[in-house]
Amino acid sequence: MGLLKDWDYVEQAVRIPALAEVIREALIRALFVRDDRVLPASIIGDLNRLPPVTVKVKEDGEVRKLIRVLNGEESTVSLGLNAEDYHFFRTQLGVGRTREFGLTMRPRVLLTYDWIVPEQRGVQLDFTAYAGVEFAEDGHRAIAQVGALWKRLYDDALAAGHLVPFVPTVPLDFAIGDAVCGDAPFGSFRGGFASYVNALRTISPYGHRARIGFEEVANNGTAYDLLHASIPLASEFFVPVAVALRLEAKPGARKTLTYAFDDPAKVSIALDKVSRVGPGIQWVHLTDAVAAKTLRPGPAEAFAVQVSLGTTATGIAAKEKVVDAALAGFKAKTADAPNPFDAPAEAYRKTAEAVARALFVGEVRIPAKSFGDFAGKVRAFGDQSAAKAGIYGSLGSTGIVSAFPSFSAPKDRIKVYDLSKGVRAIVARIPGAAFTGRLTHLWEEEPNFLRRMALWREMKLQIDAAHVVQPLVAP
Amino acid sequence: MASLDYAYRRLVNTLGPERVARSEFERMVYSHDFASLPKIALLQWRLYPDFVALPQTTEEVSGVVKLSDESLLQITPRGGGTGWCGGSVPNRGGVLIDMRKMNHILGIDPDGRTVAVEAGVSWKEVEDFVEAKGFALPHVPLNAIGSTVGGAINSGSTGFGGLRGGSLRDAVANLDVVLPDGSLLKTASGADAGGALADLTPLFFGAEGTLGIVTKAVLRLIPKPELTRPLTYSFPELPAAGRFLKAIVDAGLTPYHAAAVDRDHFVFERALRSDTPEPVDLALVAVQGSKDEVADQEKALDALASKEGGAKLPPAVGDGLWRERHNNYGARRLSRGLMISYNLVPLRRLPEAVETAARIRDKLKLNGSVQAHLVDSTTAALNPYVLMDDTRPSGGTALGFVKRMGDAAFKMDGHPMGLGLFLVFNLRKMHGNATSAYSAVKGVLDPRKKINGGKTFEVWTKYPWPGLRAIPPPGMAIGLEVAAILRRAKPTRDRFVRAYEHSKEG
Ligand SMILES: Cc1cc2nc3c(=O)[nH]c(=O)nc-3n(C[C@H](O)[C@H](O)[C@H](O)COP(=O)(O)OP(=O)(O)OC[C@H]3O[C@@H](n4cnc5c(N)ncnc54)[C@H](O)[C@@H]3O)c2cc1C
Repeated sequence: MGLLKDWDYVEQAVRIPALAEVIREALIRALFVRDDRVLPASIIGDLNRLPPVTVKVKEDGEVRKLIRVLNGEESTVSLGLNAEDYHFFRTQLGVGRTREFGLTMRPRVLLTYDWIVPEQRGVQLDFTAYAGVEFAEDGHRAIAQVGALWKRLYDDALAAGHLVPFVPTVPLDFAIGDAVCGDAPFGSFRGGFASYVNALRTISPYGHRARIGFEEVANNGTAYDLLHASIPLASEFFVPVAVALRLEAKPGARKTLTYAFDDPAKVSIALDKVSRVGPGIQWVHLTDAVAAKTLRPGPAEAFAVQVSLGTTATGIAAKEKVVDAALAGFKAKTADAPNPFDAPAEAYRKTAEAVARALFVGEVRIPAKSFGDFAGKVRAFGDQSAAKAGIYGSLGSTGIVSAFPSFSAPKDRIKVYDLSKGVRAIVARIPGAAFTGRLTHLWEEEPNFLRRMALWREMKLQIDAAHVVQPLVAP
Repeated sequence: MASLDYAYRRLVNTLGPERVARSEFERMVYSHDFASLPKIALLQWRLYPDFVALPQTTEEVSGVVKLSDESLLQITPRGGGTGWCGGSVPNRGGVLIDMRKMNHILGIDPDGRTVAVEAGVSWKEVEDFVEAKGFALPHVPLNAIGSTVGGAINSGSTGFGGLRGGSLRDAVANLDVVLPDGSLLKTASGADAGGALADLTPLFFGAEGTLGIVTKAVLRLIPKPELTRPLTYSFPELPAAGRFLKAIVDAGLTPYHAAAVDRDHFVFERALRSDTPEPVDLALVAVQGSKDEVADQEKALDALASKEGGAKLPPAVGDGLWRERHNNYGARRLSRGLMISYNLVPLRRLPEAVETAARIRDKLKLNGSVQAHLVDSTTAALNPYVLMDDTRPSGGTALGFVKRMGDAAFKMDGHPMGLGLFLVFNLRKMHGNATSAYSAVKGVLDPRKKINGGKTFEVWTKYPWPGLRAIPPPGMAIGLEVAAILRRAKPTRDRFVRAYEHSKEG
């Protein structure tokens, strides 16, 4: 389960003489949907094989030990398993035989879809029980173990006088670790998740505790910024077990404003304008009518823009005025809709469950001015494909909307693939837009992109020379 | 290795004679950066480059880099040369690439809110350009006049705007980099993919020219704020100013800049310029926004400052300091040399950090100033400077201050910034078990260690003989510790120090 692993697998598959005839895109499709008319049975067998052992992590020491066992540095006995588990572990992993097996982290919640190549014969790590959160005594920093629920971090932080600046654009019940080993779309008006990460506590492929970055401070001027470069792929280089997060002070006053728009052109212009309003905005989320209905009771306008303000008690009225002016053209405005992230945990989870029923294909990044155009095209595409489309989005101060099209369709791999392809075709026609879904990484053939991926691959092979953390495998 | 004359001819063929320098004088100019290195350093390194190359295009940079495969000469990239740990100074001679002829602003994209620039342009030029078009840079290095775009990115610089606009890393959308094999890499995709699509841009943040040569950058822009108002408050002691800076963050305020500066700085400045404010420990805070926002923030700041015993100074003081914000090290003219120690410390420990810096300075019988500024909601930069006379053999002992400050930063859960030539020993302390992952990155991008080799994981010397070719990084640390001890034992004070103390008493 990993992007580099999938990419490398595809790169190698296109070089197999028997598959060389198949054009790259058709091959990716065949691999993704496990098409037995195109692929040999042995490959289908590999792709369908799930990791035989799942370890529920309670302490990071267990991961260290496991790595040392997999590296042959310690015997399986040191894992302290009972006789039955011990036997199972050894037979399933083939310990004692000359096989390579790896470790993979299982995300708590996946927004989109599983990767193509599962961990072939290794161990899957389940971090749901490794979920502690610790706040600095006097400072806006938290250390969250990867299994900690984002919602819990958010609630506990507010209670302790901090604000977790990043929120999920699509409100699923993510764990923090889902942003490093899965696809949780966290962000704020001012930056993406990575901007709020000071450090990752990881276990290296050699079983050592290795901290990437600095827990208490920013990492400027400490050689290459490996931390921020690697965050999207971190779980393919190390096993991240906790994240040191940069929080902010809980603002003196907070307010959530909801603006309804009925016109795609107007909402696009308004979004572009509000993206130019400086600090004081925590996040700006947008939904079309389909998404809004899932999130909130009551009638839904064509588009709703929710703005979360956080500033001084004396400054908030002025800020609201500025936002009102920027969002001119709205049909209605209300300050009654509550901040969806402040909802009680149970209510939040229920909403998350409803949202999770839809099929998501990944993120589209799009200039605010083109948002309405994109939304229209996605809706029409959904109608054509018998998969009613909706949109969840988040606006950044760069003027880019991070949009997640959703479809009401069964989540089978063929549907996921075809809908992803359709979204890609729409995005290709919108200047300045990018589809960053995982499949795009496999489709993309731009030479600079291929070069960068190849460099990442090289770095992975150097950093994980032991081939332990999601090792690359050949078809 | 090809002869130097042959290498020279090949360079001239690539760039033309007017853009390749090899005179003693020119080479000497490039043998140091902003840090004052004692002459004794020449015993260890060949600080003078063999040639200075001044390329004007990415293709020329690539050409020069490729030539080093034939000549086997080391490459040292250099921007404004204002770094303070020797990153832009050669250790084994070779070809120094001065990027400052690549100083064009290539174009602004008002819709995409970005500006494309060549790496050798100064931040001030870019700032002036974008401001004329109604935009601003979210992050500007403190040394905007002297530092180049490529140099600041490679230094991982902090600066103005961090708390409000995010780090410099986040303000860079894309880079063109000539890699050590001479090929060109665009570090991100053309559209803003938010870090996806294998974005390698952050890797070059703080890389100190060891991974490749940045030739172009696409920088993000924000709308120009309606108003910027500098405010100054005097405090009974510097730690109180430190507490004030922390209180700003705790109150959720986001000024454009907030710094604490001790009175000693103004004593030095007074000796040079009569219009310097009365020496006091003070905080300089610049707020931005609409008139209403600025007024609201000012009120909140006034209240926070008075809680710490701060007194507001007249607007003229703030205006003057803000105008001069890029010129911080005038004191260098008093003493001939200056060492700056640049560190990041947890904001919550800032009051303790400024006290620690002053204590170390005083213990080493040095004169200098303690300064700090906000970097983000968890981090403050602590950047004291000390005066040194590098024309005297004892001058170099001031380098021990940088070592001691770095150690103190680690103790406070922070870290020193920069590795350059003489702080390489900090790398392992910074990254512990992760160091090998960092070394893997260099191994992949520059397997032959062509660009700024021997500066990150090992300390190369100028000597070709096995055993002496490199010294273990901890050896450097011991050297600097010895310097600190010598400094402490120094019985007499420097000439300029006596003069300074006289003015301080007066
Ligand atoms: C008044 C003053 C204030 C300062 N304030 C700060 C501050 O607030 N924060 C801070 O972090 N630093 C500060 N500095 C230190 C220094 O100025 C900065 O690090 C600066 O940004 C370096 O830029 P430069 O162009 O002078 O780079 P140089 O000193 O020329 O080079 C710095 C490093 O980058 C490499 N390099 C330069 N250009 C390129 C390129 N195009 N491609 C690849 N590598 C390259 C060099 O090899 C070297 O390792 C200050 C310095 C002064 C004199």
